[in-house]
Amino acid sequence: MTYALEVKGLRKSYGEREVLKGIDLCVRRGEIFALLGVNGAGKTTALACIEGLRRYDGGTVSVNGRMGIQLQSAALPAHIKGAEAVRLFAKWNRKTADVSMLAALGVDGIANKQYLEMSTGQKRRLHLALTLICDPDIVFLDEPTAGLDIEGRISLHEYIRHLKAQGKTILLASHDMAEAESLCDSIAILRDGEIAFAGTVLALTEKIGKHYNIQIRTAQGIETYEADDIGDSLIAILRDCQERNAAIQDIRVDRGSLEQHFLKIAKGE
Amino acid sequence: MNGFLYGVLLQWKLDLRNRTMLITCYGVPLLFFGVMGGIFTSVMPESRETLIQSMTVFAVTMGALIGLPPSLAEIYRSDVKNAYQANGVPLSSGLILTNISAFVHLLMMSAILYVSAPVVFDAKIPEHPEIYFSGAVVLISVSLSVASIIGLAVKDTANTSMVSILLFLPSTMLSGIMFPSEMLPEAFVRIGQLFPATWGYRWMTAPAFSLGTLCPLCGIFLIALLACGILLRRIRTR
Repeated sequence: MTYALEVKGLRKSYGEREVLKGIDLCVRRGEIFALLGVNGAGKTTALACIEGLRRYDGGTVSVNGRMGIQLQSAALPAHIKGAEAVRLFAKWNRKTADVSMLAALGVDGIANKQYLEMSTGQKRRLHLALTLICDPDIVFLDEPTAGLDIEGRISLHEYIRHLKAQGKTILLASHDMAEAESLCDSIAILRDGEIAFAGTVLALTEKIGKHYNIQIRTAQGIETYEADDIGDSLIAILRDCQERNAAIQDIRVDRGSLEQHFLKIAKGE
Repeated sequence: MNGFLYGVLLQWKLDLRNRTMLITCYGVPLLFFGVMGGIFTSVMPESRETLIQSMTVFAVTMGALIGLPPSLAEIYRSDVKNAYQANGVPLSSGLILTNISAFVHLLMMSAILYVSAPVVFDAKIPEHPEIYFSGAVVLISVSLSVASIIGLAVKDTANTSMVSILLFLPSTMLSGIMFPSEMLPEAFVRIGQLFPATWGYRWMTAPAFSLGTLCPLCGIFLIALLACGILLRRIRTR
């Protein structure tokens, strides 16, 4: 198996606080991989260590290919125009400045717009364009859709899929399970500096597939139950209602959203 | 054209779009020149002898100490630094490019004063233009190096202006451009000698080159360069 990225036993502390407690990750070439976790789980630190932007205390990081990095917190000088930024970054990277990439990202209108006049979505896409200038093999995106409206998110997701189709490997950090579910091949859930789950989205779905939420409405109100075995649990609940003479008005059974299960894993509940 | 050359040209353009930079490099110095030039020459006609030099010292000190630090803070005290580091733009480029651009702006301002002061206020053109211009070049370089320390060292962007003004005021007041430094108390003379403006003014008004004025300016410049190197390294590893 050829990995675009292999991380083994990555450790990082800030003073006494251990932020990464020896995490292991393997990202296959050409896949979209999400590093998930609630705020403060250590995603940005992990990404910064992997990208080489922050020193780490232990472990190994092996990146097989050229990196392109879009940080969560990045900005440009207030008066720089979109096209000028593309040219500046291209020239420093000794690449041909291709301003048409802004059009490919749907923001050709910012070519002559100063950075301070751009919207959050336009800035995000400009930074993505700058990330792609060096024609990276592996693209790191930290919270790429943060602050974007729905249209912006959908459009950016399409572009990320387009990058995958070009054979690029994408590693994105996010706290949005829905984003990972719709976009990613593999995920890792980071909890308190440790990997709580790693695998494909399908594996996570199967893992939680036997978990059910049961909601029963009676004249007394709504009762909710959680069960792993739907058959026995449902019979027991119905029997209990019968013994209490609770007239059942409605029954709802669902498996819960991936997002709810992600939150449970991410928070260690 | 490589990244460095493009960066120099781009920074020049960015400065022209930057209102703060334009005001501090051109607006305020020209206003000061217009108002104070008129007052100086009418109250003390002999000030025409050194009007070009004194206005140059004011313009350079103002442009460097007040104009440069915010530009540096914009890069090094914000997420611009992150974007540069992550995408292959050398971190030191911000410092070098803003300094080169500011240098050109301040040299242009000095030339404007050199040309316009004799016309507007009948100021005396320096007998040795080479001494004036070499003095201006050295003063601009040293003042920018000191301003770079403020831009790199002050953590809070809002505090940058305050620190700049705290350096700018004694620099100009004690340099000798407002009143002869011999009239000042000894302690103030000593304090004034800590700033490049004092030495720059002495250089530009001297009849000949003097090591006595070059050495202090070189000393300040070297200390500032060292401090900038240390600060940049600290920012890089943070």
